[in-house]
Amino acid sequence: MTKWKSLKRLTLLLAATTLAANAWADEVVVYHTWSKPSEIAALTVLREAWAKDGHQWKDLSIAHDSGANVSLMNMITGGNPPAIFMNSDPGIYRDLNKQGLGVPLTKLFDSIGATKNFPPSVLKNITVDGEIMKAPATVHIDGMVYYNKHVAEAAGVDPKSWKSLDDLFAAFDKVKAAGYIPIAQGGDQFQKAYLLQALIASEEGPDIYNRFYGEKPDRTVIDTPEMRAALKRFRQIADHTDPGSPNRQWNDTTNLVITGKALLQIHGDWMKGEFMAAQKKLGEDFDCINIPGTKAVVVTVDSWGFLNTNNADTAKAQEDFAKLDVDPKLNADFVLKKGASPVRTDADTTNLDACNKLVLETLKDPTKQVSNPFNMADADWYRTIWQEADKYWSDPKRTDDEFVQAMQDAYDQIF
Amino acid sequence: MTAISAASQAGRETKVRRRPLIRPNRVVIFLFLLMAAAFFAVPLYVIVVTSFKTMDQIREGQIFSLPSPWTTDAWSYAWMQACSGMNCNGVRIGFVNSLYILAPSLVLTISLSIITGYGLALWNVKWANGFLFVLFICAFVPFQIIMYPLIKITGALHIYGTTFGIAVIHSVLSMPFLTLIFRNYFKGMPPQIIAAAMIDSGSFWRIFFEIVLPMSGNIMIVVLILMITGIWNDFLVGLTFGAQDTQPMTVVLNNITVTTTGAKNYAVDMASALLTALPPLVIYFVLGRFFVQGITAGAIKG
Repeated sequence: MTKWKSLKRLTLLLAATTLAANAWADEVVVYHTWSKPSEIAALTVLREAWAKDGHQWKDLSIAHDSGANVSLMNMITGGNPPAIFMNSDPGIYRDLNKQGLGVPLTKLFDSIGATKNFPPSVLKNITVDGEIMKAPATVHIDGMVYYNKHVAEAAGVDPKSWKSLDDLFAAFDKVKAAGYIPIAQGGDQFQKAYLLQALIASEEGPDIYNRFYGEKPDRTVIDTPEMRAALKRFRQIADHTDPGSPNRQWNDTTNLVITGKALLQIHGDWMKGEFMAAQKKLGEDFDCINIPGTKAVVVTVDSWGFLNTNNADTAKAQEDFAKLDVDPKLNADFVLKKGASPVRTDADTTNLDACNKLVLETLKDPTKQVSNPFNMADADWYRTIWQEADKYWSDPKRTDDEFVQAMQDAYDQIF
Repeated sequence: MTAISAASQAGRETKVRRRPLIRPNRVVIFLFLLMAAAFFAVPLYVIVVTSFKTMDQIREGQIFSLPSPWTTDAWSYAWMQACSGMNCNGVRIGFVNSLYILAPSLVLTISLSIITGYGLALWNVKWANGFLFVLFICAFVPFQIIMYPLIKITGALHIYGTTFGIAVIHSVLSMPFLTLIFRNYFKGMPPQIIAAAMIDSGSFWRIFFEIVLPMSGNIMIVVLILMITGIWNDFLVGLTFGAQDTQPMTVVLNNITVTTTGAKNYAVDMASALLTALPPLVIYFVLGRFFVQGITAGAIKG
């Protein structure tokens, strides 16, 4: 009798272990670089929806801005790669394609009607060598104006009435007179470079922008009146910021606007997360506009990529993941939590806030959008732009001639 | 301290009639020491007070002000709830992982390098000098250069992404340096003792366990401190060879604090950083004085 009992127990135990092993096998490793509460909330939306399709999310996060690519490649080399990863660098996808590890998504997105609803800048961003290789997760605008409404009232200015940058600078004198910093600007290289590219796009338009930041830039664009005009605007903003700007992080810079020390900041729309974290209300305490008189906005897209594992279950999981990610309803929920804008123009707008709607409205015009250089330009080229923008900003004596000369020299070396 | 200085002061007064209480060179020394202390203490002060503030107070931007009200929320949040990816279990996950990495690393590294060091120092090994030269060169090879082959090797051995794999890499990387340290220390032992032991027909292992090991307390402390702080503070090896569940505390800390487009909570960042730095600090406080002893013991004899 006892013998039978123990045998039964053993069988149960065996069954339990096999079941457990199966459960492990179904887990799919999802690799990303996010850890902040807003980001976790967004990922949770996706994970829960995906779980309903019967897939288990095994989380792997490494927050390392530049190292994320390296880590991914290390994991592939070590034979322990994630099936799903977050990455926007087209170089990574070219590498994967070369090794036969890429998973193209064109057919899938065509069949579910997503492709035709992506704004052109998004479509351009996720397409690598003619094939859609990335599933877009969020849309960010790199240069939006977020301002403190109380400061605007106190200084007697109304940002929504500005039609051009000249209006903005005219209002700045009033703001200064009222004792506020007109524009808060952070100190590290990327913030200045983002500001410059936002200015080139908004003031000089997509043509000049694409000739300067494109995959193969146009040498003649460097020395044009348009580029010099954009540089002049850049310098004008530098003259209006506060002495605390050098080395200041963007978060701390946003804080100046949140706490009412400065009127506005021109930076990526992820600023909204800081306002939300400080319990400020959109429309009451703060508000957002595009750069006045904007001709084009710079778009950054966070994307997911997939790694071919030659496993049917994993492939199914990846397909379900991609479908959910670009679902008009689910994507709207996702970006709302993250503090970004949806990747489709037909996204469900019921829960979106005024800033999201402004972005979607702007993105409906295909002529009004360009891509972040990160997602298309040569790395050496945009790094040089970053450095030169930084030098130009930090040294008031540096002339636009010197900027033009330096960029031309760099062009000759790189291309 | 006071008694001694008072006594010497009294002693001097009998010899020299007028001696000002505050001498200029003393003031200079004190000023310098004060500045040096402030140089290290001020950032620490800012980190500590920030970790006890609320986010509302941090936003005001007075980094030197004391917290009002004091709150330990950031500490408990950092330990229990801070998110590394979607795993919101705080830095304690990394703490445990770091311990799991540390234990086998220490055992492997020390046991291997103490024996090679002992062999090279006290026994006639063929090519010993050439071997030492190679080790010396190896100690200066940067990890980044050999990272790729190491990943390939660990991948082939199926230990890539495991805590044991990280421990093995730590051991391999610190072997040359530690072997040199042990070798130089053993070289300084009185040769008569070893010669006598050999005459008494002691074997390689017997001499090691009964004579050499009991005499290496000092150098053990030095190596322990070096290894514990080195392995605990390591980021790159843990990042490269760690996987989903094996990330050490530094990588978890990085996940919690680094953000590109997310909102920041400085109090939590500071508390997590302090929690991560705590174990090496404790080691230094507990073993610090032995450290100096060990270093000097090696220096005089070597």
